Amino acid sequence: MGIVNKLVTWSRVKSPWILHFNTGACNACDIEVVASITPRYDVERFGLLLKGTPRHADVLVCSGPLTRQIESRLVRIYEQMAHPKFVVAVGTCACSGGVFNGCYNIKGGIDSAIPVSAYIPGCPVRPEAIIDGVVKLLGSLQNPTEAPATPIVINPPEESEELHG
Amino acid sequence: MSVSLFEMIVFPGFIFLGVMGMLFEYLDRIVYARLQNRKGPPWFQPFADFIKMGSKEDIIPREADSGMFVLSPLLAVTAVVVSAFYIPMWGGKALFSFFGDAVVVIYLLTIPTVAYFFAGWYSTSLYSTVGAVRTLTQLFAYEVPLFLVILAPGILANTWSLSGMAEFYSQNPLLCVTNVVGFMVAIVALQGKLERTPFDIPEAKTEIVGGTFTEYSGRLLAFLKLTHSVKTVVVAALVSAVFLPFGVEIGGVLGFAIFIVKIAVIVCILSAFKAALARIRIEQMVDFCWRYVAPAAIFQLLISMVLGALTGCGV
Ligand code: SF4
Repeated sequence: MGIVNKLVTWSRVKSPWILHFNTGACNACDIEVVASITPRYDVERFGLLLKGTPRHADVLVCSGPLTRQIESRLVRIYEQMAHPKFVVAVGTCACSGGVFNGCYNIKGGIDSAIPVSAYIPGCPVRPEAIIDGVVKLLGSLQNPTEAPATPIVINPPEESEELHG
Repeated sequence: MSVSLFEMIVFPGFIFLGVMGMLFEYLDRIVYARLQNRKGPPWFQPFADFIKMGSKEDIIPREADSGMFVLSPLLAVTAVVVSAFYIPMWGGKALFSFFGDAVVVIYLLTIPTVAYFFAGWYSTSLYSTVGAVRTLTQLFAYEVPLFLVILAPGILANTWSLSGMAEFYSQNPLLCVTNVVGFMVAIVALQGKLERTPFDIPEAKTEIVGGTFTEYSGRLLAFLKLTHSVKTVVVAALVSAVFLPFGVEIGGVLGFAIFIVKIAVIVCILSAFKAALARIRIEQMVDFCWRYVAPAAIFQLLISMVLGALTGCGV
């Protein structure tokens, strides 16, 4: 990696600008995303800023399951973002469809329409988890060869209690 | 009166102003963060933002007028850098000065605003068009008071050259007191010029997405943001040259330090306003400017004229 490449990667890690997009969440995850950019958590110390337009943003933060109605809009927003861009799925719904999986109006997780770089499960996600997820995503930019972190599972469900049969 | 390439590009031209602009952007952000009881971004944040934006993809919308879309940011940054040459910063004189350069500087500092308008207008996106129109509407509200109060001190100093004004007031520091009203008007108008809260109406991101710059990305956006930071420094330097000319004749490192302190004071005042106030609507802004700020500016003009007549040092 040349010095210029290193500098560019460093700047990308240090200045992630996010765009928040609700793809059909129940609103709890949105509230948590908004909570995580309040002065209490002060994400600006990582250089993270909330932007209003996809043209300025680097990271698309999606919350909620992918509804059939929002799909074309999500793809359009994604295509409006300038390269390089990353997508973070916030909440169990965004990761897999969650409790809404199998509904007539749901296609599944965000990754059924656009590529996703980081999954942050939780229902709703805690602001700490969102910040942790974004920081891990940025860390993986710096060390692309490193193996992905193994998820820490708290209270794993019993084998017999399969979630979706 | 020729300018060398070095002066134009490195010092005190483009690169120097760019670095200064970013450092003061950092100061602004950290003061804002501290006022909100936050830790705030690290010092290299504006630089990282700039490099990141510069390394991203440039998108020019198909609908947009690609010529004007690319030209507007360059026009804005050029006008700001050129106007800096006429403003006395330290060591007494500006790089250039002639009788009446105050008028030229004010006009040059209007060009970025007009360039922002073009940038928004030729993006042809709905949001940027609304932002562009708001930029111009706002211009008509703050520009007249700013013009009046920048020129008012010139009446006493009997010159419309910025270097001349700075020299006159640093020799008669007591007369600065008569310009307090003008200073306050200038601070209010500055917030309109720099599109800062409470006058950040053209880029209100909760209403019109990104405002004027909605469609910009990559290098062009980096240039627009850089223009913004440089404009902050240049306009603050203008106000400090006219209203706070203390120690402007001192050159060297000490003069530079005094200059930095003066700009920092103005930027801190602006950050405090940003933290304390919320955005107002465009018609409230125009109303406020014409009803209170413009009369205050005329009042300042009257003070200067009466004083000039009494002391006989004016025209
Ligand atoms: S993960 Fe839970 S809180 Fe988040 S959108 Fe889905 S149901 Fe709502």
